[in-house]
Amino acid sequence: MKNNKFILILFLLFFASCSSVSYFRVDVEISRKAIFDINQFKEIIVTDFFIKKESDSFDLNQEVVNYFTTQMKQNLKPEVSSRRISFPNEEIFKDKSFWKSILPDSQETVLFTGTVDYLEEVRKAIVQTKKKRDEAFSRDKAIEERRFYTINLNFYFIDAQTGEVLYTQAFKETQGYKNPKQTGAFAFYDLADTVKVKLFNNVLGTARTQKRYLIKD
Amino acid sequence: MKVNTMHKKFTFYLLALLFLPLVFSYCSANLQSNQIQFGITAAQRGLWDEAIFRWKKAVQSNPDSSAAHNNLAVAYEIKRNWDEAKKEYETALKLSPNNSHIKANFENFMKNLEAREEDDTKKKNEK
Repeated sequence: MKNNKFILILFLLFFASCSSVSYFRVDVEISRKAIFDINQFKEIIVTDFFIKKESDSFDLNQEVVNYFTTQMKQNLKPEVSSRRISFPNEEIFKDKSFWKSILPDSQETVLFTGTVDYLEEVRKAIVQTKKKRDEAFSRDKAIEERRFYTINLNFYFIDAQTGEVLYTQAFKETQGYKNPKQTGAFAFYDLADTVKVKLFNNVLGTARTQKRYLIKD
Repeated sequence: MKVNTMHKKFTFYLLALLFLPLVFSYCSANLQSNQIQFGITAAQRGLWDEAIFRWKKAVQSNPDSSAAHNNLAVAYEIKRNWDEAKKEYETALKLSPNNSHIKANFENFMKNLEAREEDDTKKKNEK
């Protein structure tokens, strides 16, 4: 009996050592190049933004400038600071001399600016709800409200020395909330976070890990 | 009776002793001859050049091995040799069109390639 067990173990060892799975998984790091490489500059100056539509509940320009200054300081290599400017109109982004005049002697400095508008709306819809616990299959109709916030951000990276627009990108993000007491200021941070991730992917490049299968035969 | 039991035991241990080296020599011989497996072992240790060398050998000895072509494609992808990777994936898929692992590898590879090409186009347009 004991001998039989020993032989069985030997056979198991034999098959375990020689037999194998048909595939192996390996990690592959996939990098995506930066569309506009921000790290080639020494300094980033975040200026005020041109406000197309102001929010009623908070200072939109101040929040945008503060948010992106902080995020850039945390995530980007160049030195980051902010500067107050005033916009005569939206066409100013095309005016090289205007941007050149902000920091005339600067080198390897990029100005980060743009336009922004923030919209808030309440959408109503008729939804079916369960009536009572003891009437599980009966349904009732009710009107439900959702608060929606939309941010439109159009960023410009401008060469401080030449006043030339080096890179521009527009983002539109919308987020809906079930909570009727949701504030615009709170929603702004959710939307800004989404925009930030997309913007930084484009200016820093991204690396992520994917799986690949190696096949044995 | 005692002599008989001892004889049985002796035969068993003798067989076991003969069997064990056979097992190990078979496995090691098999491993050495199998370039694909060798390449996988190298790849798992991060030795992708060695892996490419092994899988190229495997392709030379058996050009119809979809596994060798697939593995080569993965290695070329790691080495950022996109053109070669694409060629090898396509060959592997031609040889084994229903292999789910090759399909999954190729789909992910193509998604990345398209995203890269899109980025390059955007960059050109910016300029």
